[in-house]
Amino acid sequence: MTGPWAWFAKFLLRSVLPIGGLALLAGFSHGPAWGWAIAALGWLLLVFMHRRQWAALAAWLDSVESTERCQFPQAGGVWGEVLGKLAQRQNDQARRLEEVETRLGSFTGAMDAVPDGLVILDAGHRIQWSNRAAGAHLGIRLPRDDGVIIEHLVRTPGFAEYLANADSSSPFVLQVPAARTRVYTIRVVPLGDANKLVVSLDVTDARRVESMRSTFVANVSHELRTPLTVVSGFLEYFNDEGAVDAEQRKQFARLMSDQTARMLTLVDDLLTLSRLEAEDAPASEEDVDMADLLAQLRAEGQSLSDGRHRLEVICQGPALHGNRKELHSAFGNLVSNAIRYTPAGGEIRIEWAASDGCGVFSVCDSGVGVAAEHLPRLTERFYRVDRGRSRGTGGTGLGLAIVKHILLRHQANLSIESEVGAGSTFRAAFPDWRLSPGK
Amino acid sequence: MSDHLSKQFDLELEHIRTRILQMGGLVESQVQSAIEAFSSGNLELMQQVVERDHDVDANEVGIDEDCTLLIARRQPTARDLRLVMAVSRIVTDLERVGDKAAKIASMSRKLHAAGSQRIPRLSDIQHCGRLATDMLQSALDSLARMDVDTAREVIGADKAIDAAFNAILRQLITYMMEDPRTISEALDIIWIAKAIERIGDHASNIAENVIYVVSGDDVRHTGAARMKADDA
Repeated sequence: MTGPWAWFAKFLLRSVLPIGGLALLAGFSHGPAWGWAIAALGWLLLVFMHRRQWAALAAWLDSVESTERCQFPQAGGVWGEVLGKLAQRQNDQARRLEEVETRLGSFTGAMDAVPDGLVILDAGHRIQWSNRAAGAHLGIRLPRDDGVIIEHLVRTPGFAEYLANADSSSPFVLQVPAARTRVYTIRVVPLGDANKLVVSLDVTDARRVESMRSTFVANVSHELRTPLTVVSGFLEYFNDEGAVDAEQRKQFARLMSDQTARMLTLVDDLLTLSRLEAEDAPASEEDVDMADLLAQLRAEGQSLSDGRHRLEVICQGPALHGNRKELHSAFGNLVSNAIRYTPAGGEIRIEWAASDGCGVFSVCDSGVGVAAEHLPRLTERFYRVDRGRSRGTGGTGLGLAIVKHILLRHQANLSIESEVGAGSTFRAAFPDWRLSPGK
Repeated sequence: MSDHLSKQFDLELEHIRTRILQMGGLVESQVQSAIEAFSSGNLELMQQVVERDHDVDANEVGIDEDCTLLIARRQPTARDLRLVMAVSRIVTDLERVGDKAAKIASMSRKLHAAGSQRIPRLSDIQHCGRLATDMLQSALDSLARMDVDTAREVIGADKAIDAAFNAILRQLITYMMEDPRTISEALDIIWIAKAIERIGDHASNIAENVIYVVSGDDVRHTGAARMKADDA
């Protein structure tokens, strides 16, 4: 027997039957008046008890909806059984809810960790849900913007039209005013019957790389074009017999060989740079005798300076573990820069010393210096502080880019201090494990 | 927004709000482009801003018509009426902002055509322009979210633009005193700065209208909103 009838039978068996039995017993032994009295009393007691339980349950049910918690009613007998089952069910439900909540929580956490902005819209383009990246990309934040129509917040001209005729094959390019310099692409994906998922992607860096690549190509072409124009101009002269005498011919030939030499240096530098980029680490490393290397740098510096500058070389540090050829190229670049940007009579100090556990190679000059706003971009390829100047002194615009690459491969850090008119100091700090313990 | 028995009425109100905010988006991008064109000297962009001003004007006429139709058909009351009234005021403000953007663009073109650059393109103009676009953006955001707090902040921010405008003025006066040949150029730049400053004023008008819609308080010319914004 199941269902309400089973419970009713239980009630009869446990409550009504004992009272009836007791009343009958009393009626037989003390007379019918006693029997009726006991039955009435028992009945009253029964009603009272059930009402009390009922009230406790009602109070608890009320408290579930309000904020203050009420104790779950405790009882024995029939009520106890019912309440026990109710309590178990309640606990089950709470546990299931908690499970769902944790799962939802970890899901939301994962969605917030996604770098792309995600917004779910309903049929009327009202915002249903969004993740954290959407806040950064589109300025949409929950719960503030729950139910707001997305076109009200993303007002960029063209966005509403794109959203209306969602075409997921070509994205919409968005420059949100909230983050002026950033560029996003937006795609709309249909979700379910009427909902839409808006996906925003930050493409600022990709665009920057793209523009850097195109400027690089433009720069290389420009750098090669200038000497080529000179050479081809002279060649035209040579074709014109009699226009040039022997003396001029000689002079032109010298200028042409200068220009071709420049092109060669440029191509060499480009090759060096691409080789440095292609390999992660130097092919071979050894303990480089710095005193020897500095002496070599000094000799090269003196021949480049031709006695116009005073060169001072100080070597106080230990040997350096690295690729000698690359280090020579990096240090040589720094020294030749110092000589080229220091007017005659200036002073250049080349120093290798150990300080704070680092090996520091520094080149300090009393030259023209670099203004602070150029310093962060100085190691970019073809970056020129003064467009005319460096070509005049024979630079390719790649020197510092090469230096930076080589130093990176040696885990060294390049720092530049400079003051316009007072000179510059280029400092490369090598980590301690690259220094050999014995001098 | 409150629900009406007639779903259609809700949709119509929502539609008006969407239209005004779309127009706001157009005006926002006009102002940004105009200021960018001034500082970069991009002639194409200037031309584009001047041409797109017609779109802004067309928007104004269309939204005004929508408001009139809605009042005639639905006889809105209380908050709905306030919304329609506010939209018809905001539309005027936005149209003026659009005009200012076009003016900045055409002035920049004139400066560019004159060729002389005795006065460097002041970075203060860009700073002032950024303040103005931020204000406009916040004002429109407050309209989208019906957010009174943001609206109060916008009204408070107007002071910063006024201060920036005065700083530009002082700088230009120094240039003019040093070299009278800079006067015509400086005057043009003053027009641009003044236009930017006016954009800030219109933005705070929009914010005042948002407060009016939400709370029913007319805070125009009272300084009440400003005081509350200062307290906050």
